[in-house]
Amino acid sequence: MTRSSGTGPARVARSQGVSFSKSPVLAVRLPSWRSRVVLFAMFTAFAALAARAVWLQGTSSQQQFLQKEGANRYQRTQELPAVRGKITDRNGQVLASSIPVRAIWAAPEEVLAAPKEKLRALAGLLEMSEAELRKKLDSDRNLVYLKRQVEVETADKIKALDLDGMDIRPEYKRFYPQGEVMTHLVGFTNVDDRGQESMELAQQNNLVGKSGSRRVIKDGRGRIVEDIGGKIEPHNGKDVVLSVDSKIQYIAYTQLKQAVEHFGAKAGGAVVLDVHTGEVLALANYPSYDPNDRRNLTGAQLRNRVMTDTFEPGSTLKPITVSLALDTGRVKPSTLIDTGGGKYTILDKTISDTKAHGVINVGQIIEMSSNIGTSKIALSMPAQDMWEMFTKVGFGQQPKWGFPGAVAGRVRPYKSWRPIEQATMSYGNGISVSLIQLARSYMMFARNGDTIPLSFEKVDKEPLGQQIIKPQTAAQMREMLETVVSGKDGTAKKAQIPGYRVGGKTGTAYKVENGRYAMPRKYIGSFVGMVPMSAPRFIIAVMIDEPTQNGHFGGSVAAPTFAAVAINALRASNVPPDSNITEIVVPTDTGPEAM
Amino acid sequence: MSNKLNIVLTALLVACGLSTVNAQYQARHLFVDLERANTQAKQLDTEWSQLQLDQSTLGKHARIEEIARRELNMTQLTPNRTQYLTEGDK
Repeated sequence: MTRSSGTGPARVARSQGVSFSKSPVLAVRLPSWRSRVVLFAMFTAFAALAARAVWLQGTSSQQQFLQKEGANRYQRTQELPAVRGKITDRNGQVLASSIPVRAIWAAPEEVLAAPKEKLRALAGLLEMSEAELRKKLDSDRNLVYLKRQVEVETADKIKALDLDGMDIRPEYKRFYPQGEVMTHLVGFTNVDDRGQESMELAQQNNLVGKSGSRRVIKDGRGRIVEDIGGKIEPHNGKDVVLSVDSKIQYIAYTQLKQAVEHFGAKAGGAVVLDVHTGEVLALANYPSYDPNDRRNLTGAQLRNRVMTDTFEPGSTLKPITVSLALDTGRVKPSTLIDTGGGKYTILDKTISDTKAHGVINVGQIIEMSSNIGTSKIALSMPAQDMWEMFTKVGFGQQPKWGFPGAVAGRVRPYKSWRPIEQATMSYGNGISVSLIQLARSYMMFARNGDTIPLSFEKVDKEPLGQQIIKPQTAAQMREMLETVVSGKDGTAKKAQIPGYRVGGKTGTAYKVENGRYAMPRKYIGSFVGMVPMSAPRFIIAVMIDEPTQNGHFGGSVAAPTFAAVAINALRASNVPPDSNITEIVVPTDTGPEAM
Repeated sequence: MSNKLNIVLTALLVACGLSTVNAQYQARHLFVDLERANTQAKQLDTEWSQLQLDQSTLGKHARIEEIARRELNMTQLTPNRTQYLTEGDK
């Protein structure tokens, strides 16, 4: 038993027929539900994910937001820019045009992290010093603009620098090839492409384009691979065709500039109108400015004197008073009027002529520009008639010609007129008008007694006129206006031009400052005339403000400018001559004249 | 019988799928061409504007006058040096 007892337990075990490795103690005895729980948990998790996905994509309130965000990963909204319309003259010459340029934006943090030499190169391309560039980048904002209106080529070079955080956006820059010659008519836009002055401002709604957009799919390299609709077509701005003739405009501007410099004047204005269509063929102001470079712009340069400055027109108004008397049959061109010894007293005020004219007829009153004669004619008429006449030709009326800033001028109500005022108003004192209003008032003489509205845009057909005086009166007045220029006592001999018959009227007014006439006297010399007299084509008005040397009467400062503009305008427009006189010798001293 | 039909249908399906892929590929190619043409049109438009502007700048009357007077020694014509011709018997 002891032997057997020594080997006892192993044998027992063996005898049991069970090995250790299969020990039942060690056998895994996991309950079967545990695996099912895990399986279930995993399934539930997947189900939850699926449900969440379905919920997000199908029913959630965030669905649209999420879809959009998803689409944003590959879709882009591409802006389709629209160009501002061009402005051209009547012959299609471009006066204002927009050219694409770039605006350079930068994210300060990212750009400042760039290597130094790249920053230096960037500053160089932007034409600023490195310090300036750093100053611009020293900002809390996410994006600052470094420079606007940069040329495309420069922008491409900046892009080639491959700096992080640079953003180059397209924009437009407006160019004005005719510069200072045309600027008072065309105006200019600001950096955001909005019209600021003149026609750019008046036609803003027509000129401005409407940019569109579309959705596209971009690939990894940023190329557009597909257009996925939703396109909003861009609409370019409409082109505007102005009435101005750039040739005549250039002539008017250069002649005006010469005159202002020659007479040491403060400023000047000139306007050329087409008699048949009412189109403004030229409108020049001096001093002027270059709209492409407006850094040192002064108010005097910006000022559009022809449209926005009113002045007492002086004698240029006489034909209007006289034509009213002619039209109502109160006088005939041959009616004699005693202008006496050059002085005429109405109540306590005295008006005077430059010299004693004695007894002269109505035609001579215009020719020699007699204040007394005109006053006597005026005082034979009711104040209301005169006021109505002034109103009909547009004085004191707000012009409706689509030009920003055009002024109405001032005509006091006739009920407050005293006789002396009615007398002085008849020769253009105590009433204020702009040069363009004055030019337009001569429309009824140049046409057959009717007047038409002015236009700054090209006109295709003749507008309907409004009859003011009889055609016969207009013809009589034209004859008188011609004697002003070519008559032996005419005040505007310097307005003569070889080869053409000319008619017009001079004016010299004292400037009013702070409600009274400026002392020492300051003058405005003006001339309004028409050519050719056989069949008037153009009305040209010239105004020289404060001439200080070489004369100051309208006949000596404004008439020569008129003649220079007229001869060139006639030739430029192929108007055949209507006179055989080809050589004109104007006496240097044409003598004094009335106001 | 139905087995054969299935095979035919499967083949058809595959063919359709491939042709869709092909069509899409072609469409993208054409689209890229279209885009390129559009860009070119825009570029030409810009260039045209630029040229118009250049024409206006170079054709400035001030410049023409300057060149005519200085380089070509031209003077303004006057009516007494002008012979006017009229049509007909006049």
